[in-house]
Amino acid sequence: MPTDTKRVRGPEVSQSPSLFLCKNAVKKSTASNDARVDGRQRGQVDVRSVFVRCGLISQAKGSAYIEAGNTKLICCVYGPRETERKDETDMKSGRLITDMRFAPFSCRERGSWIQGSDEKDLSLMLLESLRPGVCLQKYPRSQIEVNVMVLENDGAVLAHAVTCASMALADAGIEMYDLVLGCSIRQEGATYLIDPTFLEENGYNLASGSRENLGSLTVAFLPSLNQISGLQSDGEMGEDTLTGDVRTCIEGCFKLYPVIQQALSKAVRRKAPPSES
Amino acid sequence: MATVQVSEAEKVYILHGVRDDLRVDGRGCEDYRHMEIETDMVSNTDGSAKVTLGHTDVLVGVKAEMGKPRPMVPDEGYLEFFVDCSANATPEFEGRGGDELGMELSNTLYKVFNNRYSVDLKSLCISRGEHCWVLYVDVLLLQCDGNLFDAISVAIKAALFNTKIPKVHISEDEEGGKEIELSDDPYDCMRLNVENVPCIVTLCKVGHRHVVDATLQEKACSVASLIISVTHKGTVTCVRKVGGGSLDPESIFEMTETGKRVGKALHAPLMELLQEEESLGKKRQKVGFLG
Repeated sequence: MPTDTKRVRGPEVSQSPSLFLCKNAVKKSTASNDARVDGRQRGQVDVRSVFVRCGLISQAKGSAYIEAGNTKLICCVYGPRETERKDETDMKSGRLITDMRFAPFSCRERGSWIQGSDEKDLSLMLLESLRPGVCLQKYPRSQIEVNVMVLENDGAVLAHAVTCASMALADAGIEMYDLVLGCSIRQEGATYLIDPTFLEENGYNLASGSRENLGSLTVAFLPSLNQISGLQSDGEMGEDTLTGDVRTCIEGCFKLYPVIQQALSKAVRRKAPPSES
Repeated sequence: MATVQVSEAEKVYILHGVRDDLRVDGRGCEDYRHMEIETDMVSNTDGSAKVTLGHTDVLVGVKAEMGKPRPMVPDEGYLEFFVDCSANATPEFEGRGGDELGMELSNTLYKVFNNRYSVDLKSLCISRGEHCWVLYVDVLLLQCDGNLFDAISVAIKAALFNTKIPKVHISEDEEGGKEIELSDDPYDCMRLNVENVPCIVTLCKVGHRHVVDATLQEKACSVASLIISVTHKGTVTCVRKVGGGSLDPESIFEMTETGKRVGKALHAPLMELLQEEESLGKKRQKVGFLG
């Protein structure tokens, strides 16, 4: 197993102080069951407002930055470049390579720079979500690299990474069928929390009595084509709850769509040469 | 995943067949291939099972070791999954080729078991905060003919059913130090309750319909599949879309319904079979790997 040999680490038995935090301080159960900690409502399609900007990184072909609540992600796209490995499939269509990483300071406990299995899994999910949206057959023998870096993890990371990556791809001028938007939901008993924060995702504000139907769901959606390109769920849910949650996530994606479109058109206008007047 | 090359004519043939609910080998869209399960094949493990589904061969070994519980949950044990794609399966898996697939399978297994009800983790606790049982579930792919998730999940359920964890007694001596004693009797062991362990059903979208237990040829004709893991009560523990294509929301709802129905129906005969095998005890004729 590769270990980080260049850094001096603490003794093997050291544990993060956050584990010893008094649990009561963290489990502030909200007085009424309806309000969430940041003022949004349970059981309603109340996604966090997003701030997006394209074209931040000058060296990259395309880039995008997204901020939703405290979740901050940045994505760069490089390509189309010539692919190093050439198999038969590459002759007909391009290859999309995704990489998703967490900065060590992004989560409550310090992570490591070496890619863990969680990050590899998220990169794979990101790839599966983006592939249907990109016209890869227009780029034979090339590869397009998408790198997502999570600067701060406050929940719904995969969903926002999908949105950020598709904006960066559009900013890079890669031909796409449609934007891919992501939305995340957390099911707790009878209610759902859309676009959960980190604390909500890990079940810190559990409403009492939600022993069953506890799970999370992330959906990647192409709005104009009405197709789901990525779906991942966790935890234990009944089938009807699952179906309901997928529809709710689709609604959440539709809410996000105009914001993303506006940000992209602003970015294009900024890049366009000034018109002769 | 091991892939086969399929010509356009073959694709059309398969698509038309699926449309009429008749697959290449004569099955219906929701039928499984012939499945053979055998447990207790490897004597060095605490539980093992081998599942043959068509030409897919999976061997699972479970070993119980004592370890320190996770800091956030001091009164629970845990499971660790590892999937090894052996080079025996296909030459693509030689060296590090199978690592990617193995990682994908292990990560999915972690997600499937990531809930409170699948395995009773509290029963794996020995002493709170200090010792617990860690079950290392190691999956070995011997032959690969499509539909790995289903075969692996059935094998894991069978292996966990077969697992015998030795009973431990904690005794305190005068200075307050704890001593762990294993009982001398090799048959004095604890069994796991695998009622709630889910089974994974993979549904491949072929044309406008979906098929259960796709062979490699059918997989080559589909753009996307849905993996759904279902318990015997019908609750869904994990849903995941794999593949490079996109799916209509309506298709996903249909596939979820089918998956739930098929998955639920899989549990009862499986438990019956496992209990029957168990009840044969010493009289059971072991078929082993050459059967």
